[in-house]
Amino acid sequence: MGFVSTVLSFFGFGIGLSVGILVGYFLFIYFQPSDVKDLKIRPLVEEDTQSLDRMLPEIPLWVKNPDYDRIDWLNKFLEVMWPYLDKAICRTAKQIADPIIAENTAKYKIDSVEFESFTLGSLPPTFQGMKVYITEEKELIMEPSLKWAGNPNVIVVAKAYGLRLTVQVLDLQIFAAPRITLKPLVPSFPCFAKIYVSLMEKPHVDFGLKLLGADLMAVPGLYRFVQETIKKQVANMYLWPKNLEVPVLDVSKASKKPVGILHVKVVRANKLRKKDLLGKSDPYVKLRLSDDKLPSKKTSVKRSNLNPEWNEEFNFVIKDPENQLLELNVYDWEQVGKHEKMGMNVIRLNELTPDETKTLTLDLLKNVDEDVQNDKFRGQMVVEATYKPFREDEMKDSENSDEVEKAPDGTPSGGGLLYVIVHEGQDLEGKHHTNPYVRLTFRGEEKKTKHIKKNRDPRWEEEFQFLCKEPPVNEKMQVEVVSRAPSIGIHSKESLGYVTISLADVVHNKRTNETYHLIDSKNGRIHVELQWRTS
Amino acid sequence: MGLISGLVMGALVGIALMAGWSRMMTRRSTKRVAKAADVKLLGSLSRDDLKKLCGDNYPEWVSFPAFEQVKWMNKMLGKLWPYIADAATLVIKDTVEPLLDDYRPPGITSLKFSKLSLGTVPPKIEGIRVQSLKKGQITMDIDFRWGGDLSIILAVEALVASLPIQLKDLQVFTVIRVIFQLSEEIPCISAVVVALLAEPKPRIDYTLKAVGGSLTAIPGLSDMIDDTVSSIVTDMLEWPHRIVVPLGGVDVDTSDLELKPQGKLTITIVKANSLKNQELVGKSDPYVVLYVRPMFKVKTKVVDDNLSPVWNETFEMLAEDKETQSVIFEVYDEDKIQQDKRMGTAKLALNELEPEVSKEIELNLLSSLDTLKVKDKKDRGSLTIKVLYHPFTKEEQVAALEEEKRIIEERRKMKEAGLIGSTMDALGGAASFVGSGVGMVGTGIGAGVGMVGSGLGAGVGMVGSGLGAVGGGLSKAGRFMGKSVTGQFSSSKKNGSPTPVQGDGNAN
Repeated sequence: MGFVSTVLSFFGFGIGLSVGILVGYFLFIYFQPSDVKDLKIRPLVEEDTQSLDRMLPEIPLWVKNPDYDRIDWLNKFLEVMWPYLDKAICRTAKQIADPIIAENTAKYKIDSVEFESFTLGSLPPTFQGMKVYITEEKELIMEPSLKWAGNPNVIVVAKAYGLRLTVQVLDLQIFAAPRITLKPLVPSFPCFAKIYVSLMEKPHVDFGLKLLGADLMAVPGLYRFVQETIKKQVANMYLWPKNLEVPVLDVSKASKKPVGILHVKVVRANKLRKKDLLGKSDPYVKLRLSDDKLPSKKTSVKRSNLNPEWNEEFNFVIKDPENQLLELNVYDWEQVGKHEKMGMNVIRLNELTPDETKTLTLDLLKNVDEDVQNDKFRGQMVVEATYKPFREDEMKDSENSDEVEKAPDGTPSGGGLLYVIVHEGQDLEGKHHTNPYVRLTFRGEEKKTKHIKKNRDPRWEEEFQFLCKEPPVNEKMQVEVVSRAPSIGIHSKESLGYVTISLADVVHNKRTNETYHLIDSKNGRIHVELQWRTS
Repeated sequence: MGLISGLVMGALVGIALMAGWSRMMTRRSTKRVAKAADVKLLGSLSRDDLKKLCGDNYPEWVSFPAFEQVKWMNKMLGKLWPYIADAATLVIKDTVEPLLDDYRPPGITSLKFSKLSLGTVPPKIEGIRVQSLKKGQITMDIDFRWGGDLSIILAVEALVASLPIQLKDLQVFTVIRVIFQLSEEIPCISAVVVALLAEPKPRIDYTLKAVGGSLTAIPGLSDMIDDTVSSIVTDMLEWPHRIVVPLGGVDVDTSDLELKPQGKLTITIVKANSLKNQELVGKSDPYVVLYVRPMFKVKTKVVDDNLSPVWNETFEMLAEDKETQSVIFEVYDEDKIQQDKRMGTAKLALNELEPEVSKEIELNLLSSLDTLKVKDKKDRGSLTIKVLYHPFTKEEQVAALEEEKRIIEERRKMKEAGLIGSTMDALGGAASFVGSGVGMVGTGIGAGVGMVGSGLGAGVGMVGSGLGAVGGGLSKAGRFMGKSVTGQFSSSKKNGSPTPVQGDGNAN
């Protein structure tokens, strides 16, 4: 009897529980409205102390930290734009989802799956502060603090076997602190080649998930579990230093990196026209690459010769073989006065076949424009030209600007190449003049940059190499900024400050990139990058 | 018995469970909603809110200026500037050089940039203000300052000689108004309207130099450039005038955004009272020049030897934006030998007028409209006028728009035929090439705006496609301005303004 009664009571409890849950469901949950309640927002000034205390942990970063900037204007912008964005995003999402749904309903014999409601709600994401870091590298780092406590409402209704199942996602909240890095910076719009996004902290995610009107997230323990799982998943993918990479531009195209080398041999010229009154002309050839800031190159001067033979070779680094031109100008050398132009011509690089030496006989012209004056015969010039594009694998090496390149062949083993890039100076000030250039001194060897006229914040961007037999661990390099006088006279040269850089760091690190304060200068700084390349 | 009690117990536990769940649901839901409300509130804090929130520990680094500061954006601009400058140089060269060639006047064989550098000093954004003045539009005001070391050398080759002209030390201080027209298609912005706010007055200063020569070699050249620049700024860029850039991808009707005549002004210049004499012998010979837009100036007859002249002449004028525009009256003394002297000027703001009510107004003449510059309190007399403002209906508006187009077209034709501007024949060639040069300057400014826009876009993480569109709009803007320049010369008057002109067209 006792046993039967116990079994029966358990049995009864089971039925009773199911009935009770059903009754309770209809009593408490089923008739609750499924739509999202409209948010009533009172002005903050009217809030009581209790709700103010509740708000304290959410105070925006720009209030708490002086190095964060307020971007409420952007919040306002988003607020006005939000209804439009909402509609656009929802429509796009539906368009993407519909074919996928159609495919799957057929597969699983479901009658229909529909979005009953799809809206992101009335509350836009807000930015609660923005911080920008400036580093020495070619990159921009932004850290916005993003908080989206929205009231989206997505209801999916599935119908199968005469049953109706509703799944509702509502009140989504995402708080995140992303770091957006734009790098490398390139000189063509939009001025950066890639965007890297990573999260600095685990994001906070909260939402309601209603199945048939009952919020699953309200089951004790489940919410925590779901949240932890999401956090872990996201952290695995995007938590710093992991990141999401979005390419915007092709780096090699955007930054115009060298893609090949042009070898030119100026062989000779024939039948040049006489320019000097007495005797014959003294010709030399000037070679210049279009769209290049480098100075032109010259052959030697052949005295009193109208059929000169030079047989001199030159190399040019090519960045844009499709459009660049090589200009060849023949000049008449003069002891006094202006050197007179005897004729010129150009070689279009896209007319050359790669890796093939071409001997060109060029008529000398007055100028490249199609002009009547070109009819006159000015002589001819013979030139050998070879364009050698870099091989693919060579290109790849140079793409990763972060990594230090290998030293070229011929570097002594154990030693390496010390590579110095003088980027820019800031706040330089001379007593009499400020036409600064940089003088590098290393092991008695001296190298100089170009001087820039009247500029307190010059940009040189020049590169230098020093070959070392052994790593210069205990040595130093002196970097001095000197101003050159505009004309010869008193105060001809003036030091604007110097700094001595110990090279131990660069040898161990392979690369350093820093701005140094100059000694003997008020506020002057200089930005120098050093690389230690070993084979 | 056991079954019944089990059933009851089970049902009770079941109901209790559901009740508990439901309570939990409501609690969590209210918590989330409360948090959403908090975050929303904290997204737009005001000074009072913050005071209440922080109590005595109010952070000192927080300030609430009318234009929100954007230090982070300036930092970014500073870092990006060398790259932006390089990129913009290429864009400007590519878009403006063919344009210059299009508008190259006869007599000049080549017009090219021999040097174009935007310098090393980045522009500064002093602040940003976002408003929503109209439904479906976002109005963004950018306080823009650029004291740059830009240098542009324009190589001009004429038949006789070549003359490189250099523009440097450009300084632009202005508030740029950008209006975003919203749409429900991604990227959610269908058009962008760019203008310079009239208040505070845009200031655009620069130095012009002829390389290896002097600008004074061609008399009046420098003045003409200045005059053209200021006319372009006031008539093309200054609010309510604007540039409309439709963004690619979305096909929308932007005609609503374009500036259209809103109403008609009927102004009768009745008389002037007790003008001050400007001539040594006899009395002044006054006449009045009046305009709403400097492009459409009209003038009265000259009344000889009279300091209280009566004209009773009536003019009709169009008004595009009653809220911000005003009629400018300038009284001149005609001088047969020298340049005409200005005897005084006055301004009548249109928003003081009531529609369809004729009104007689007496205006006091001032030496300059810029209140900062008025030194003397001397009485220069007054001007009596009668004004009637008539707001257009839809049909009248369309008709007026057509009429305006026709007038501009006619003027251009006349200019081409050489009817107007024959008095300045000797200068003609030089003048029009300078005009195109100025068109280029304008585009430079446009490019600046575009850049700011793009910087923004990048920073905000909005859709980058806007960039290309701005670039495209840039060329459009350039073309637009270039056109206006050629039309401008027929009406522009010489007034000896010094080289750094103010953008207000009345610099004297």
